[in-house]
Amino acid sequence: MIDRIASGFHPFVIPFVFGMVFVIGWCILALVRILFQLTHQDRLAFFKSLVNPKTALRNIKDIFANCLLHVKLWKRNKLLGYMHSSIAFGWFMLIVLGHLEVFIYVPHRINLFYYPIFFNYFVSEADATIGGSLLFFLMDFFLLMVLSGIVLAMVKRFRSMLFGMRRTTRPAFLDRIGLWALWMIFPLRWIAETFTAHISGGSFLTAPMSHLLVRVLGDNIPVMPFWWAYSIALCVFICVLPFTRYRHIPAEMLLIPRRNAGLKIRNARKGLAKVEVFSCPNCGVCIDACPMSVKKANIKDCTVYLNRQIRRGNEKRIEQISDKCLLCGKCEAVCQVGVQGPTIRVAQRSIRKYGLSQDYSNIDIQPLVDAAKGSKVVYFAGCMTKLTPRISTAMESLFKKAGVEYVWMDRDGGLCCGRPMLTAGRLEQAGQMIAMNERIIKESGAGTLVLSCPICYKMFKEHYNLPGVKIVHHTEYLEELVRSGVLKLEKGDTFYVYHDPCELGRGSGIYEAPRKLVGQAAMIVDAGHTREERSCGGGSLGSLTLSFAQREAITKASLADLGVNHPDAIATACPLCLATFSRYSSRPVRDIAEIVDIQSNGSE
Amino acid sequence: MKENVVIIGGGVAGLEAARQLLSLGYMPIVVERKKSLGGHVAQWNRLFPDMTPTKDLMERLIADTAQANIFTETGIRFINRLKDGYNVMLTNGVNIYSKAVLIATGFGLFDARKKEEYGYGVYDHVITNADLEQWFNGKEDNRIPESPQSIGFVHCVGSRDVKSCNSQCSKVCCMTAVKQAIELKEKFPQAEIYCFYMDLRLFGKKYEDFYISAQKDYGIHFIRGRVSEVSERLEGRLQVKSEDTLSGKPLKVGIDLLVLMSGMVARDENSEIASMLRIQTDSDGFLKSRDNIYSIIESERPGIFFAGACTGTKTVPETVAEARAAALEIHNYLSR
Repeated sequence: MIDRIASGFHPFVIPFVFGMVFVIGWCILALVRILFQLTHQDRLAFFKSLVNPKTALRNIKDIFANCLLHVKLWKRNKLLGYMHSSIAFGWFMLIVLGHLEVFIYVPHRINLFYYPIFFNYFVSEADATIGGSLLFFLMDFFLLMVLSGIVLAMVKRFRSMLFGMRRTTRPAFLDRIGLWALWMIFPLRWIAETFTAHISGGSFLTAPMSHLLVRVLGDNIPVMPFWWAYSIALCVFICVLPFTRYRHIPAEMLLIPRRNAGLKIRNARKGLAKVEVFSCPNCGVCIDACPMSVKKANIKDCTVYLNRQIRRGNEKRIEQISDKCLLCGKCEAVCQVGVQGPTIRVAQRSIRKYGLSQDYSNIDIQPLVDAAKGSKVVYFAGCMTKLTPRISTAMESLFKKAGVEYVWMDRDGGLCCGRPMLTAGRLEQAGQMIAMNERIIKESGAGTLVLSCPICYKMFKEHYNLPGVKIVHHTEYLEELVRSGVLKLEKGDTFYVYHDPCELGRGSGIYEAPRKLVGQAAMIVDAGHTREERSCGGGSLGSLTLSFAQREAITKASLADLGVNHPDAIATACPLCLATFSRYSSRPVRDIAEIVDIQSNGSE
Repeated sequence: MKENVVIIGGGVAGLEAARQLLSLGYMPIVVERKKSLGGHVAQWNRLFPDMTPTKDLMERLIADTAQANIFTETGIRFINRLKDGYNVMLTNGVNIYSKAVLIATGFGLFDARKKEEYGYGVYDHVITNADLEQWFNGKEDNRIPESPQSIGFVHCVGSRDVKSCNSQCSKVCCMTAVKQAIELKEKFPQAEIYCFYMDLRLFGKKYEDFYISAQKDYGIHFIRGRVSEVSERLEGRLQVKSEDTLSGKPLKVGIDLLVLMSGMVARDENSEIASMLRIQTDSDGFLKSRDNIYSIIESERPGIFFAGACTGTKTVPETVAEARAAALEIHNYLSR
C-alpha cells in the first residue's frame, strides 16, 4: 500500500476538517462550562473518580455497552437494538480500522487526522499489500453493517411499529437536516470507495462493482464528485450535531463518567441535569412508556419534551411539564440513556418561591416519642394506610399471629414521612419532617421499622439517617416471617394479578418478595406489563396538577392491562394503589397484607 | 281486552304508575327483579317529614295494584323494537307486546366500602343509613352497641364526591340524617350525637323545622367539616378525625357508633337497559331524559317513558308525582 498523492492533501477534505475542528471546539467549550456549573465537591468527586481505576474501568465498559452496542435497546426491541448498534458500532469500527490501516501502511501520515477517513482515496494498492485483504474485508463488512442500519433507520421513519414504537417524536428542522446528512454519509462513502477500488483495492462490497465500472466506463469514472459529497455530508452532520438530537453522542460519553462518579442532580438546568438533557437522543421511547400518554393531550408532557423545552429555555412549558408528572419513574426505567426525568422535575419544582413557607419544626412530638418507646419493632402505617384501614387491620392481625411485639408509631396520628413535600420541591419542610421522625425512631430504641406504604418506604430508605435500624416494607417483612416459618401460609385458589407499585418496584427495586407471598398464598397470573414496565395506577402523589378526570383514564388503562389474563382479583402492596384501583375495578382489589392475613396461621 | 303497558321496576314509581294506569283503563304489567315489591323505600322504617310508617304506604300501594299483572323475581331477557311497539321477553319465558314501556328501575345504593377511610366492613361499629333503618324495622344488628355514649353521622358518603365517581347530590340524605339522628336520640337519650356535614341541603317542606328541632329539642351537634379518617382504638371505640371549618380547628371525636349516609348512585344495569332500548345514559350514569325541565319522564324514543330515580336522585314525593305524570303521558301517547 503506497501513497498515491505525494502531498497527502486534496481540497475535498476541507469541509470535513472544518467540521471536526468546529465540533471538537464546541465539545471542549461545553465540557468546561458544565464542569464550572458543578459544585466544588461534585467537581472534586468527578475528577477523583476519573483516576480511580475501578470507576475508570466501569466508565469504559459502560460507554462501550451503551454508546456503541446499545445493550439496553437490544433488550427493548431486537430490531431497534440492531439498527442503533450497527450504525454506532459499525462506524466506530470503520474509524478504528481506518486508523489501523494508516498505522500499518503509511505510518508517516498518522498525524493527519483526516487520513484514516479518506484512506482509500489517498493510497493505491501495491503487490506487497495483497495480504491486507483481511483488513479490506473487515472494512467492507462494517460498511455493510452500517448501511444495513441506515436502511432500517429509513424503514423506521415510516413504520415505527416494526421497531416496537407506537409513537415517536416529530423531529425539528435541524434534526431533519442531521438525519438526511447521516443517511447520506455511508451510501456516498460506499460509492466513492467503489469508484476508487480499482486503484486502492477493495473487498466484496466495493471490488466487484469497481471491476464492472472500469469495464464499462474505462478511465472516465467520476470519482471526485463523490469524495467531495462524502466529505460535505460528514461536514453537515458534524456541524449540525451540537444543535440536534445527535448531540447525545458526545453528551452521553460525558454523562456516563459523571453518573459513575456518583453525582446527583442539584439544579434542573445546570451540571449533571444539563448533561442529561443533552444526552437525550429524542428517541421517544418514553412517550409510549408514560402512563399519562393514554390521553393524547398529555403526550407533550413526557420526558423527551421536557428535555426539548429545557434546551429551548421555554420557562412556561418547563414548569407545566414538571408539575404535571406523576413521578412514576417509568420513563427513566425504559430510557436507554437513563435520563432521570423525575429527578430533573423535582429539582425544577424546588426552584419555585412560595408566598407562604410553613414551619413544622415546632410541632410537639414528645407524646409521639414517648408512645413509641420500648419495642424492638416499630410499625409506621403512614397517612395513606390510615385511609385504607384494611391494610393496617391485617398488619395488626399478622403481628399478633406471629407473636411480634410492636409499637404502632402513628396509631394516634403521626407525622408525615415528608415525601409529598419533597416531591413538591419543598425540601426545607421535608427536612423538618425527617428530623422529627428520625428522633421518634431513634429514641424508641427499635431495631426494625416496618412500613406499609411504599411512598414512605422509599423516603425512609433514601432520605433518613437511621443507623442500626432495619427499614423494611411489609411485603419484605412478611416474606421473612413466612420464610422463617413464623407464619404459615395455606395456598388458596383465587387467581391474583400483582400490580407493582411504582415506588416499591421501580422506586425501591422490590419485585420478588410480593410475588413470593402472593404465589404462596394464592395463584398468580401476569399482567400485560410487569415489573419495570408496569404502569402507574394514576393515584400518584407526584403530580401537582393532573386533574381527576385525567387520572381516571390512567387508572382505567392500568386496570385493563392488569386484566389481560383474566385474574379473579388484583393484589397490590401500596395503599394508594389500593384506593385508586378500588374506585374503578370490577374485580376485588386487596393488599398483600390482607391476602397473607386471610391465608395464614401463626406458628402456635 | 285492556291494552298492556310494561313497567320495569316494582318500587314506589312502578307501583304508583301501575295504580294510575289501572284507573285509566290499562293493564299494567309490573316486572320486579326482587322477591318483594317496594324497592329501596320498602326497606325504610319511617319517612320524613311526617314520620309516616313506610309500611302504611306500601300496603296501600300494593292493595291498589292488586288488579295489575305483577311478576316478581323476574328480569328482562330482551326487548325488541317493532313497528309501533315493543316485544318484551321476560326471564320467566313470558312474552309481552306493549306499545309503551315505562322504566322505573330506580337507583343503586352507594357501596360504603368504597370509602374505605370510614371503615365500613373493616371496623366493628360502622353502619350505613340503610342498616340503621333495618334495625329500626326490628332486624338484629350487633354492630350497634347496647348503650352508645356518642354517635356520629357522616353526610355525603359517595355523594358530591368525584373521588367516588359520583358528583351528584343524593338529595335525601341530609334530611334522612336529621331524621335518624332524632330517632336515635329518642332511643339513646344519654348519647351525644354529631353530624359531620359539608353543606346541609334542607329544601323541602318542613325540613328546616326538623333541623331546628334537632338542635333545639334534641341537642344534636352539627359540625361543618368532612371526616378525613376513622380509626379503631384498642378498646374498640372509633376515633373520628375531622375539621370544624366554622371555627377552623381540627377535631378528634371518640365515637361508639358511626352511621354513614350512603348516597344514591346510578344503577350498573342502566347501560344495559339503555343499549337494549337504544336510549342514552347521561354523564352521571342515570338514564337521559329528553330534557330536564319539561320532559323528564320522556325518553328520546317514542313509547319509552321514565318515572322516579332512574333519571336522577329523587325524593319519594317527587317520585310519586313523576309516576302519575308518566301514567298520564302514556295514556295520551296510547290514545293518540
